[in-house]
Order: sequence, then structure tokens, then C-alpha cells
Amino acid sequence: MDPKSQTTTADVIDVETDDLVEDVSIDGMCGVY
Amino acid sequence: MSTATLLERPAPAPRLIEHFERGLNSPICLTWELTYACNLSCVHCLSASGRRDPRELTTEECKAVIDELQRMQVFYVNIGGGEPTVRSDFWELIDYATSHDVGVKFSTNGVKITSEIAERLARNDYVDIQISLDGATAEVNDAIRGPGSFDLAMRALQRLSDAGMTRLKLSVVCTRTNIGQLDEFKAIADRFGAQLRLTRLRPAGRGADVWHELHPTQDQQRELYQWLLAHGEEVLTGDSFFHLSALGESLPGLNLCGAGRVVCLIDPIGDVYACPFAIHDEFLAGNIRSEGGFDGVWRHSDLFARLREPQTGGACSSCQFFDTCRGGCMAAKFFTGLPLDGPDPECVRGFADEALAAVDGERPKPSGDHSHRTSPPRPRAGKSRPVKLTLQLSKPTAPPVSACNANPLAGLSID
Amino acid sequence: MTPITPESVLRVHGRVSIRPEPFGALLYHFGTRRLSFLKSPVLLHVVESLGEGRTVAQALDDADVAPQQRPGVLRALATLRESEMLVEEAA
Repeated sequence: MDPKSQTTTADVIDVETDDLVEDVSIDGMCGVY
Repeated sequence: MSTATLLERPAPAPRLIEHFERGLNSPICLTWELTYACNLSCVHCLSASGRRDPRELTTEECKAVIDELQRMQVFYVNIGGGEPTVRSDFWELIDYATSHDVGVKFSTNGVKITSEIAERLARNDYVDIQISLDGATAEVNDAIRGPGSFDLAMRALQRLSDAGMTRLKLSVVCTRTNIGQLDEFKAIADRFGAQLRLTRLRPAGRGADVWHELHPTQDQQRELYQWLLAHGEEVLTGDSFFHLSALGESLPGLNLCGAGRVVCLIDPIGDVYACPFAIHDEFLAGNIRSEGGFDGVWRHSDLFARLREPQTGGACSSCQFFDTCRGGCMAAKFFTGLPLDGPDPECVRGFADEALAAVDGERPKPSGDHSHRTSPPRPRAGKSRPVKLTLQLSKPTAPPVSACNANPLAGLSID
Repeated sequence: MTPITPESVLRVHGRVSIRPEPFGALLYHFGTRRLSFLKSPVLLHVVESLGEGRTVAQALDDADVAPQQRPGVLRALATLRESEMLVEEAA
């Protein structure tokens, strides 16, 4: 598990403690357009 | 960390990225190549474009696709080609898309960007534009994209900048010949208020012919990686360099291959492929002209179902960098003849070197070739040596053994 | 920015598209071009219950959010307001 990753390891999100919103940094996948 | 062995450790719970890997209800970065026609003949064109395919989707068929994308809530579509603006209905189609809740980001070499068009684009808030450039000087650029293409791109950038277009990108494919110009590319982008994108060359389309000559060396990959880290999020990569994450810190982005899961390609004749770099029967999911349309292909194609199953990573999963590298690019592996469950041909840890040397026989050839006819004909990948881009400058040190000597060993001396 | 409270009135920004997904939802803002994940169906339900002057408290009730889950949801709503996915109105 990459410690710098912002993702959570929980399969079922723990609504009490985890961040429920995550920004997706997605500038066109695969670099075409 | 416990001392349990790999076998005894419980399987890690799925991460958020793995939700993406299982496939989304609708694609996010959907690429739609509108035409194979193009005014240029770039040596590395991923879609081997040039001549229009007579089976191209009609205006009405394109609008029906846009209607579907609206229903599927596809947020935006990445439009390219060939050169999409050479379609006479191009402006009609992007207006149709943007008035039906589908944003448009399109890529162009600049050929049709007049001042009037630039003004119109600047006013449509749902359209983003990207100008392609592969050299910061005409000398480097035109060797790849053809004579006059540098000027074409610069003129388009100037007009768009003058029109106040803010959603403007400069998109560069990184090659052996332009890695030394990264700072200059940044300067050009800054000059026109554009965001710079550096993207990865794949051995796809005509790229297969020039891959061995043009893909960056290992040293250049390291140079590129350092430069990207230094420029952080102000330079985009289209998430195409995640294989470089094995050099250390991972680069910004999702760092995964989204083929068939987050992205796919609709080609000019309605064929749906897992990815724009994988135009080959192996990655053909279906055609939008079939009964279920595009939605039917996205949801039900066998190929996509297979891609959305958990992937083991094969030989790469034991590498300490697998988490961020994920075994690299599927298309790069496929067209260099490497197995999909092994390392990327540009694996920065060198794990592909032996495998590449061992590739025997013909490598897979891209499905279609819409290139402008040339004389002599272009060599096809896998059959012969790659096309040499530079002329030999050194003079021969000895005269030929004979003007016509049938013996292939003529003149050979063995120590 | 002031924290989100149960009395806050929020609505989804007019240029945001919400697309439900198996794990929650994707939100895309056509103005900022930002894309956000809602990682929980509960949060999606809350967001969909906002609008027409409803308070956060009303949306939390509509979505049946358990008391111990509420602080996390309020934090998420604050994040969405910061990224302009949600717009706050005068109470």
C-alpha cells in the first residue's frame, strides 16, 4: 500500500472515520486527447 | 508489518482505484476519432491516418452517438482523428454535443483554426482545445509532423490566445528527438496561456514503424521523470507515464491502465476498441452500429468483461513498484510482441530487455492503415528493419568488394 | 469558511452532473472541470436530498443517516462546498 496514496484500504467505506469524497485527478487517460 | 509470508498474509481489501478497474457505468475519458482523414502524415500517428475511410459514420449517426452519450451521462468526449476539423460537419457536431450536456475536448494540428473559429471556440464554455506539437523548433517538429506543421500549430496557438481562449493545451508526444526541449515547450505553452501536456509515444499505428528509433532511451526517461517531478501539477501527462513511477515517487494521476474500464475508443467507422493505442482485433469490443449501440458495447462486450475482471499482474506482481507501475501499458506490450502479463517494453528497471531480445517472428500489426499512399510504400511493422530517419553521414572506409557479388561473405575476415 | 451545520442550506451547483456508480457516485463540474468521487451511497442519498431550500438536517433525515455517521457526512459536504460542487444559500 503506497503510503502517499490518498485511497483507503477499506472495502466497505467506514462512514464514521473515512473521507467520503475524493477528487479524481484525471487529465485524459493514456495521454491521447 | 507482520512476518507472515506472502501466502499467509490476508488479501488486501480493494482500494478505490480497484473500483475503477472493475469498470464504471459509463466511460470517463472516452476518445472518439471522428475521421481517418488528415492533412498531415505524422510519422508516429497512432491511428495511421491520412485517407478518409468511406465507411465513416454519417452526420446523423454521429448525432445518434451523441444522444447516447447524453443518456449515459458521459461528461465529456475527447475528439480526435486523423484531423477531426477536416470533416465538414465538425462544427455542427461539437455544437450538437455541447448543447446536449456532453462537453468536448478536441485535438487538432491547427489547420482550420481561423481567427473567426478561434473567437467562436473561446465563447463556448463547454469546449476545450488541444494543439499538437512534437518539437519546440520547426526543425525537430517538422521531421516528425511534416513540412509547415510547426508554423500551422504556432499560428493556431496565436489566434486562440488572441481570442482569449483559456481552456487551451499544447500536447507533445515525447520522443528521442525532443526530450532535450522540455523547457522550450514550457516556454511556448506559457507564451500562449496554454497548459503543457507531455505524453507517451506508443508503438501503435505508424508508431510501430518508428518505435525503435523514436522512443526515449532509458537515460532520457530518467531525465523526463525528473523534469515532471520538478514541474508538478502545472504540466499534465494524461496519466501516460505511470510506468516511470518505478523510478521512485509516483507521478500525479490515477496511475492505472483504464482500457475498457474507464476509457475506450470509438473509431471513425464506429468500431469500439479498449483504447486508442490498441486498434487491433484483439482489442475490438464491438461496433456502435450494432443493435445495442455504444451503450450495449460498453456494458456487455465480452472483451470489456474480461478486462474488468481482477488482473493478477503476472510476472510484475512481485516487483516492489507494482503498486504504482501496474505493469505499464497494455498497448505498448502488445505491439512490441511482449506478453501482457509481463513488463512494459520501457520498464525502467530493465525487466523487459531480455524479453524484447527474445521476441521472435512477426509482431502484431495494427488493424488498419489509412495512411496517405507514398512511393515507395511504407514498410509494415514486423517484416523488416525499422525505417531509418537519419541518413548515414560517414563515408565508407573501403570500396565495395565487387559491384555485384553473390557471396554474402565477400570481404568478411574472421579473426 | 464557516463549518457546515445541520441548519445550513445547500444545493447542488447548476453546472454539476451527478452520475450514480456501484460504489457511490461521480460528480463532474462543467465549469471547473473537476471530477469528484462520492465514496458512499449514503452520502449520495444526502446530496440528492438537498435542494429547494432544504436544510442539511432534513437531507440527513431523508437519507436515514445514523447519528455516528453524521460528522463524516458533514465533513464531506464541506469538501463539496469548497470544490463548488455544492452551493450554500442564506438560511
